[in-house]
Amino acid sequence: MTEYKGTREAFAAALLDMAEEHPDIVMVSSDSVKAMRAVPFADKYPDRYLECGIAEQGAVDAAAGIASCGLTPFVGTYCGFLTMRACEQMRTFVGYTNLPVKFVGVNAGLLGGEREGVTHQFYEDLAIVSAFPNYSIFTPADPEQCYEAVKAAYETPGPVYVRAGSGREVDVYPKGAPFAKSGITVHREYGSDAVLFSNGFVLDRVIKAADLLHEQGVDVTAADINILYGKDPSEILKTMAISDQLFTVEDHNINGGLGSYISRLATENKPAFVTRIALTTYGESGPAKELADAYGYAPEDIAKKVREKIRK
Amino acid sequence: MTNEQIQEKARKLRFEAVRMVYEGKDGHPGPALSIADIIATLYFDIMHIDPKKPDLPDRDRLILSKGHSCPILYAALNERGYFEPKVEHFNLRQLGSKFQGHPSMRSTEGLDMTSGSLGNGIAVGCGMAFAAKAQGLDYTTYVITGDGELQEGVIWEGVNTARGRELDNLIVFVDRNGWQSYKSIDYTIGQNNVADRFRAFGWHTQEICGHDIAAIKSAVTIAKSVKGLPHCIVCDDIKGKGLSYMENNNAWHKGVPTDEQFRIAEEELGGAEK
Repeated sequence: MTEYKGTREAFAAALLDMAEEHPDIVMVSSDSVKAMRAVPFADKYPDRYLECGIAEQGAVDAAAGIASCGLTPFVGTYCGFLTMRACEQMRTFVGYTNLPVKFVGVNAGLLGGEREGVTHQFYEDLAIVSAFPNYSIFTPADPEQCYEAVKAAYETPGPVYVRAGSGREVDVYPKGAPFAKSGITVHREYGSDAVLFSNGFVLDRVIKAADLLHEQGVDVTAADINILYGKDPSEILKTMAISDQLFTVEDHNINGGLGSYISRLATENKPAFVTRIALTTYGESGPAKELADAYGYAPEDIAKKVREKIRK
Repeated sequence: MTNEQIQEKARKLRFEAVRMVYEGKDGHPGPALSIADIIATLYFDIMHIDPKKPDLPDRDRLILSKGHSCPILYAALNERGYFEPKVEHFNLRQLGSKFQGHPSMRSTEGLDMTSGSLGNGIAVGCGMAFAAKAQGLDYTTYVITGDGELQEGVIWEGVNTARGRELDNLIVFVDRNGWQSYKSIDYTIGQNNVADRFRAFGWHTQEICGHDIAAIKSAVTIAKSVKGLPHCIVCDDIKGKGLSYMENNNAWHKGVPTDEQFRIAEEELGGAEK
């Protein structure tokens, strides 16, 4: 198994680890092979690496063409350049055709883009992809989960979008932990005062918030949602049933991501108060930790919002 | 197939395309007639395909990048035997029909790719051409684009990739009929120098009359003999070719013949069973 650290390296490691066994795997690059840390794949399998240059729409089109011929292309680059610049190609030539193209979008969220600033921070990707039928949407919470998510993407029929970061993600899961098919992993079970749902690379902060709340006499359950809009949400509904106070915390715009998903599940299955902690503005440049703290993702601030809402 | 036989196929396809639009009461007959000879030559002579095995791994591929021309492609697939039984009434653009307003590979047997959103065909074709090389298969990927859709930026993304990766198993026909939805190409971008642009991007480029069957056959043969470069065949075409009131009349970019106009089409194109 290839060693790695960070979600981009995790992607490249998973690709390399699968490549020998699965000759149908190819990589499509929009001059992103270096950013995706996948140069070793391109060097080892030059005939299975298509370089399209700085041209995301063309790269996604090419991936559709490749997939239509029985191969399984992975397209990896900055997630906004996929979901926004190549939005229509993802929808019409991959989603509508239901072709097995696997997308790995990096620099997701404030934490993904951090110092680069707004042009390279993307907090709209999940809202966009979740409007496309046929897509599976994976939101791994750390490098280990990203590695597993990329492998799961290969095993999953049809189009898959994997949301990834930039390399500064905090390890939460133990090595080898599976990418939960149920779409949920509960990390803290202090009690039923509230349920905190998280996804992506703020999970460590949400777990810390749950620990803080416990110390402050508020006992919550904290869970990671790793698949958005999955076919079978029954396990998520079981955790939702624990409390009438549900919270979502995500490094994404407040519309269209985890908060929207949990709100939908609540509306359709179990009426509950859903408080969404998410972005409502564009971000700015800054070191990852300071930036996340400044935009409301400090564990103390998350805990405070929970306490204020449930008045305990 | 002889050139005369292909010409006869093209005539029949033209009539079927017009009939399809007439019966469906919607569609783009002018753009369809413009490429009838290219489609007929590809499907009845050049392409390695087996209608009984539409998923054959080493079949030649075709992407109709100018997907709104699809009536002529549907007619060709029908005539070539992709549908059992043969389709009598296409129900083009009608609810539940396998003949969507623009080509859908999941709806219609024999379609290698969904299309209709202009500009994407060449880049998709790059993927198919790359896949052929990656799999060690010897098929050719054909793309038909309009000259108007060359205004889309993604066209040139695909053009760059094909050149960069030396995709010599990719052949692009440009249907250079000089028109787009509103006005002429000349009006819109000041010039319609398709061949110059493809040559500038490093492609092996030829210019022919797109209604000359022998020229189409010959251009493909020449293209296949040139290795290391992708191929562009610029076809000087007449929009609406074959039907007097549609020829070079951009009002027929999209439109439905009246009963009287359909009668004229039967006269001029001879009906399906001539």
